[in-house]
Amino acid sequence: MKKFLISIITSLFTLGFAYSTFADGHKVYGPYPITLKGYDGDKTNSVKYTGQMARQVLHDSLKALVKSGDVAKMMAYYNGEDNLEIIAPKSKDDFKIKQTMVSEIGSGNLSGKTYKGAIAGWGNLTGPEVLEHMMNKAGEVEGGFDPNTGFDYTQLISKFAMGAVFYNQAANNYLGKKMEIGQKPNSEPYKEGSYYTGKEHSWDEAFGYWGSAAHALTLSAEQNYNVAKRKDMSSADFNGDGVVDLYSEYTFAHAYYASSYDKSGKTNYLATVNQAFIDGRQVITDANGRNLNFDERTKLLAQRDIIVDNWQKVIAESVFKYAGSTYKDIVALEIIIEANGDTSDAFRTYAKHWGELKGFALALQCGPENLGETAVKLNRMMGLGPVLLNASQVVGIDSNGNFIKDQAQDWNEFKLHMLKIQKLMVDEFGVVAKAKDQLGDMEALAGSMGSADSAEND
Amino acid sequence: MDYFFDYTSQITNQFIDPKKRVFLFYILISILIATAWFMINKKLSLKKTLIKIFDKKIFFSKSAKSDYKIFLINQLIMMIVSPFLITQLTIATALYFYFHTIDWLSAGMFVGIAKIYIILSFTIFQFTIDDFSKYIVHRFMHKWPVLWALHKVHHSATVLTPMTVFRTHPLEGIIFSLRSAITQAIGISIFFYLFGNLVSLYTIVGVNIFVFVFNILGSNLRHSHIGIRYWKWLEYIFISPAQHQLHHSIAFEHHDKNFGAALAIWDWLFGSLHHSVEFETLHLGIKKNQHDATHNLKNLYLDPIHEIKKHIFNKIKKIKNKFNKIILKGRYINEV
Repeated sequence: MKKFLISIITSLFTLGFAYSTFADGHKVYGPYPITLKGYDGDKTNSVKYTGQMARQVLHDSLKALVKSGDVAKMMAYYNGEDNLEIIAPKSKDDFKIKQTMVSEIGSGNLSGKTYKGAIAGWGNLTGPEVLEHMMNKAGEVEGGFDPNTGFDYTQLISKFAMGAVFYNQAANNYLGKKMEIGQKPNSEPYKEGSYYTGKEHSWDEAFGYWGSAAHALTLSAEQNYNVAKRKDMSSADFNGDGVVDLYSEYTFAHAYYASSYDKSGKTNYLATVNQAFIDGRQVITDANGRNLNFDERTKLLAQRDIIVDNWQKVIAESVFKYAGSTYKDIVALEIIIEANGDTSDAFRTYAKHWGELKGFALALQCGPENLGETAVKLNRMMGLGPVLLNASQVVGIDSNGNFIKDQAQDWNEFKLHMLKIQKLMVDEFGVVAKAKDQLGDMEALAGSMGSADSAEND
Repeated sequence: MDYFFDYTSQITNQFIDPKKRVFLFYILISILIATAWFMINKKLSLKKTLIKIFDKKIFFSKSAKSDYKIFLINQLIMMIVSPFLITQLTIATALYFYFHTIDWLSAGMFVGIAKIYIILSFTIFQFTIDDFSKYIVHRFMHKWPVLWALHKVHHSATVLTPMTVFRTHPLEGIIFSLRSAITQAIGISIFFYLFGNLVSLYTIVGVNIFVFVFNILGSNLRHSHIGIRYWKWLEYIFISPAQHQLHHSIAFEHHDKNFGAALAIWDWLFGSLHHSVEFETLHLGIKKNQHDATHNLKNLYLDPIHEIKKHIFNKIKKIKNKFNKIILKGRYINEV
């Protein structure tokens, strides 16, 4: 009897232990074992996405540089040259960042990875041409802002680059093309001499582009958000070494925007995407270095679809949010104009929000899905440039890269377009967080009045 | 199983939601008002009053029983149909968008006005426009033959109980839903456009305060055998229960009178007002010696459809005849 009891207790303990490590292992992305057949090196962790995190830092630094107007410096980060200092994110107060040079994280560039297709919303230039055009234009103005066109290049470059590089590379390339049968097989190394398999590395690279901390699932949306704001050292420093490793302990790019919407409690984008990345990676790991069978592939692609779908929604939520902000800015501007007040500050805010709207809208068009009519509507409604106070607007780009200005859309119509863009994001992408919802109060009012359907005779 | 749960909760909701006419509290208030009226006005004892109010002959009549059945069936039909109906929010959004294109209007142009005035005017506006639209629609239900075919279902009741409000053809129910959606949308969009998010309703237990007052003043007595009459001057402003009962009378002089729901002013303005008469003198229904078969569910649901079909065919025939006549005449002239 005693023996029996001991064996039961021991097995319960073992089970409990196994469960807790299992559960823990599923909350952090990596490490994952080496599964590549025939590998005889000393590596034990097959996860490596240093190039992606280097690009995250290149993007943050580039964004910080735009207002300097130094085109050569912007280009250096865009092209990922050697010996680049990390301009952002940097240590702040007790938020100590481990790396100060990009090369401490990894190597890579933004230029080679930018969406190669034509960007209809920016004069049909290709993705890299758009970024270069914007950077050159930023070099011609003070502080990255052009009051004559209303272009805020800091916002335009950053928001577009996140889509054209990160979302594009992950959704179209690593989770798209490279997940196809015959592409980057799991039974072979990613490249000759790699210690990880084709599928493992493709999946890991996509995770890097997403931009979340590897341990994001152990944190709340608020904590992930505060990490990006450099306000929560204890949440960021997962391994407790006293510094924040930008490779695995920081929240970047779209993962940051996901956390900002999840904070409202209405959505769960960050956790959903991270869980899908982890579950998908487990499918690959479990295949143990052989090619995935039909069942495994189906499971993996289901996780891929969750990631891409939610990623797209995060960008659509951002378009929704900034269309709402722009609408509010226009209303504020109208009041100031009516009172003959000074519009300069309000115009600057308006241009900033419009720039974010434009950047995210262009980013949305760099995904795997051809948005067709939705893209046309989106581009036309927001215009190539924002409507300016003198009723003019940038309407095109000539062959020398100069902006062509013409009579603007009607001011009221332009304002209405912001609402229509919000509605479009709801109808086409099913956004839920709906930050800065300009129709939300009306919806609440309608809700308070009760449903209209009743088969009653008064 | 889910559908069954939705269905039962929808039915229960009719009695526990203060936004609904037959909310149990409103019914209770109506009973109290009826009791007081019988005891004070008609000088009846409490026992006699209660017997009179809960008259078995009325509540278990063939007419009333079909009211109950229609109620149960229509709830199911509306549950299926309502997701396909346009919502007030869809219409309000379209109107709100449209207002942006009007040059002399600008969003939030009156946000400076004190909130109390905005809420008060919205509450009054919503109640008034809702009541007026009920008047208009009701009038059309009587005047247009196709609509009358549907509305006749309601008027075929030979006794009135609070449940008679549900004695409505489902197609008529759809018309009412659209009416409600449109009027709500008009108020919501105009006010929200002009006053921004300062707009809200004055409510009691979540109901427009005026609707609440209408209901606790015995709205359920409109469809009942309790013929409460108001002073003559008051019947120009508010429809008394007896005035609505008169609307259900088959007497020729009562035809097409008192279309109003809460306010009598619409009837007064458009010449359809009739002051109340003693309830006992009224004969309710659609015609004298009305057949019991008019209370059969099959007839109640299908007769209007047949009637509408017949009406439309007749119209087409007439047009055809007219057309033929013109063509024949043309030929004749040509031949001559």
